[in-house]
Amino acid sequence: MNSLPTPSRPPLRSVLLRSRKHTILGFDPQKLIKYFFGSNASVAIIVLVLIMVFLLREGIDFLPTYQRELQTYRRAGLEFCDIIDQPLQKNQTLSSSLRQALSASLETLSKTARDRRDAAFLLKRQVEDKSARPRESLAQALEKAPQDPGQIDVLRRELGAATAAAVKAVDYPELFTQAEREQLEREFAALTPEVTDLPPMLQTLVEDFNVKDREAKTKFADLVTAQEEFEEAAEPLQEVLDELKAKALETKEKAVEFEVLETNRQRLLEAAATESDPKEKASLTKEAEESVAETVNLEESIKEITGRTAELREQVEKYAVVIEKAAADLPKDAGTGAARKLVNDVREGIPVHAREMRAAAAKLEDWHWDKPVSIFSVMGAFFFGTQWITNSSWQDFFGFVPLLTGSLVIAAIAILIATPVSVVAAIYTNQFASEREKELIKPVIEFIQAIPSVVLGFIGISLVGNLIKDVSEWSWLQWVPGFPIQERLNMFNAGCLLAFMAVPTMFSLSEDALNNVPRAYIDASDALGATKLQTVFRVIVPAGISGILSAILLGLGRVVGETMVVLLVAGNRIAIPDFSAGPGVIFQPAHTLTGIIAQELGEVSRGSSHWQALFMVGIVLFAISLLVNWCARAVARRFEPHKA
Amino acid sequence: MSADFTAQSTPPPVVQVRDMDFSYGASKALFDINLKVQYHRVTALIGPSGCGKSTLLRCINRMNDRVLSARVTKGEVLVKGKNIYDADVDLTQLRKQVGMVFQKSNPFPKSIYENVAYGLRIHGEKNKSVLDEAVERSLTHAALWEELKDRLHANALALSGGQQQRLCIARAIATVPDVLLMDEPCSALDPISTLKIEELMHQLAKEFTVVIVTHNMQQAVRVSDYTAFLHLGKLVEFAPTEELFTNPREKLTEAYLRGTFS
Ligand SMILES: Nc1ncnc2c1ncn2[C@@H]1O[C@H](COP(=O)(O)OP(=O)(O)OP(=O)(O)O)[C@@H](O)[C@H]1O
Ligand SMILES: [Mg+2]
Repeated sequence: MNSLPTPSRPPLRSVLLRSRKHTILGFDPQKLIKYFFGSNASVAIIVLVLIMVFLLREGIDFLPTYQRELQTYRRAGLEFCDIIDQPLQKNQTLSSSLRQALSASLETLSKTARDRRDAAFLLKRQVEDKSARPRESLAQALEKAPQDPGQIDVLRRELGAATAAAVKAVDYPELFTQAEREQLEREFAALTPEVTDLPPMLQTLVEDFNVKDREAKTKFADLVTAQEEFEEAAEPLQEVLDELKAKALETKEKAVEFEVLETNRQRLLEAAATESDPKEKASLTKEAEESVAETVNLEESIKEITGRTAELREQVEKYAVVIEKAAADLPKDAGTGAARKLVNDVREGIPVHAREMRAAAAKLEDWHWDKPVSIFSVMGAFFFGTQWITNSSWQDFFGFVPLLTGSLVIAAIAILIATPVSVVAAIYTNQFASEREKELIKPVIEFIQAIPSVVLGFIGISLVGNLIKDVSEWSWLQWVPGFPIQERLNMFNAGCLLAFMAVPTMFSLSEDALNNVPRAYIDASDALGATKLQTVFRVIVPAGISGILSAILLGLGRVVGETMVVLLVAGNRIAIPDFSAGPGVIFQPAHTLTGIIAQELGEVSRGSSHWQALFMVGIVLFAISLLVNWCARAVARRFEPHKA
Repeated sequence: MSADFTAQSTPPPVVQVRDMDFSYGASKALFDINLKVQYHRVTALIGPSGCGKSTLLRCINRMNDRVLSARVTKGEVLVKGKNIYDADVDLTQLRKQVGMVFQKSNPFPKSIYENVAYGLRIHGEKNKSVLDEAVERSLTHAALWEELKDRLHANALALSGGQQQRLCIARAIATVPDVLLMDEPCSALDPISTLKIEELMHQLAKEFTVVIVTHNMQQAVRVSDYTAFLHLGKLVEFAPTEELFTNPREKLTEAYLRGTFS
């Protein structure tokens, strides 16, 4: 190198410092371009930061607001009532189980009689509907003051013809014998506006049913009384509780009103203090003075409630004793297997319920109205609260768990469905498909992204929902947990649609990941004599796994953030799904983080605790999305061996 | 190994290319090639860039099959006496007999052990002790065993470039092929690594038959027993290396060797 003659070059310094001649408005164009691109990138970052700041600003006040509300909830005594009221809800469930069991049992005897009665009434209605017009005309003619016998005659004949035709046209179910059928036909044919009594056959059918029903009720008398006992057991307790609740609610309303007026007064006084114009100042002060509410003596009113603790406990104890007796009285046998199972469940559920009630009653003593609500318990009430209740006349609760579970279960369903579909499709397209197939598959899958999610929501409501419901009723599929399903709009339905929406993202990214697997790996594997399948599953997929995983995670991010479909299709029941149903839980409706914001934000008043709570949900949602995206990146980095 | 060995004065070649024409679609890449590769010899393919060395090499293990329009349009390629372009040839078996090492080292993103065992695994070997034994043998052949025996389960991508290329050689010989094809195996390596692989080549020739494409004429002289010179898709001259380099028969060869090539 050194021996080579060096051509004459300008000194280094002058090369580096050589100034460019072209400038725009005194700026170097290179720099301008750099600033242009740089500023665009910073705009994105700034907007992101602004979003975070905005969300936080609106949402962060939620905790103190909610703290104040929960404080009032406690001080006014609502919490006290809820100690008993919450476990008492169980009474409803148990008693509805019993009612179901009872009606199932009764049906074993009275079902045919009832069906025959109902069928006969239905037939009568159908016949009357079919001949409604002539019947109407005849009725009108009969009501006219001077009757026109000729016209009435004609109308009567018309009605007779119409009825006869209708009697022939309706379908008689198998429940009736030929003879009964003929009798029914005869009686229906004789129906005219003047006849007010039920046709005799129908009367017999009604009587038949009543007999059967009485018979059934005597046969299952034990069950009937047990059910009645159980239902009545809660009444005295409920009465006391209702009185207390009314009192508590009254106190709360007063306290809230006082607080509103008080804050208003403070604000007016503040304004007055800073006002310079003496006239304005006077009017503000006057206004402030007017905004005075009667102070509520919380201590006084709470005494009226806690003063009855002993009475309440006594009632609870009585109630527990009565229901335990009812449980003991529950008959061992019921009409059907299903009914027996229900009765057994109730028999086992009652002692548990009684124990819970007694425990709740014991808790009453430890309750203090003036115990402060700490900010941590408020956070707990939000993040671990199991109830999201708004616009309640009793008390609003903003518990986050039902929404989170809904979102998570739906997302899990969607990912479980979408992952195999999109990964397999990506492998096929990338490795096995011919060029023509590729040209077909890729745009078609990517087109899914262009479908507006509200349209998918339509499809979910009208098509997928019915489809799932119909399929769930097929007899040979009854082994599937949760079948037959109750609700057409449920988490599974939403999960399916979200899976459909997530497929394009997951497919494209997985396909890219496979595409990025270096050609050289495939060469090496081929050269060693591997078959196509071996190469795919032993080399390409393992090498692309990081990309595939991050595709799945990004799909998850998309699914968690999706709103429209879940709002329309998930069923929007704000309750934690009943996981005791096992895997069948996926066929229950639920509400979601995104759905609740979309549904409620437009309706709440700005700045209210509800509004702030929705922003908190938004913050959490944002955090989840960030986390998922961050995980996707981390995964992509973690398993990227061929870039090492 | 020498199933087709017959009692002749010269043993039958392990690879024999006969009157072969090869084209990529409409463009013809090789013209009327005739080549015999002898057992346990190193055969070098040299020639200017684009003359068809890689194409010819890839004809021997049918790696060209992947290029859709690529066809052998005339003649045949015999490996151990069998035309590998016959319809009844099992590609998997062919490639088990004819291994290949690429220009750029391409170990899988797996452990060293798994890289070497890969060939056996895809041919259905599950027995752990057989695999262990094969891994040790192949790494020893590739002069890697001493260096790597303590970290067989480390990721292969953590090795140096030269080690990676030797690992690829170990991977290719794990299935005990008859022929080992190498397409410029040293072109991406530093001189020391190159030297190591050249030394290896002599060792390998004891067990395998090697066909190597190289741009480096010194390398051809150092490692090979026979050399074939290709030009514009034609095999210009094929002779024992010494003869070809000291006393080329063709003018074209001479010009190329001198570097006075137009
Ligand atoms: N996949 C392909 N499709 C079409 N033509 C090809 C393909 N691969 C190679 N060719 C052509 O075939 C001819 C021979 O190429 P080949 O790669 O065999 O040359 P080479 O001698 O190996 O060159 P180098 O020394 O640069 O590696 C070239 O003209 C090249 O353009
Ligand atoms: Mg080449």
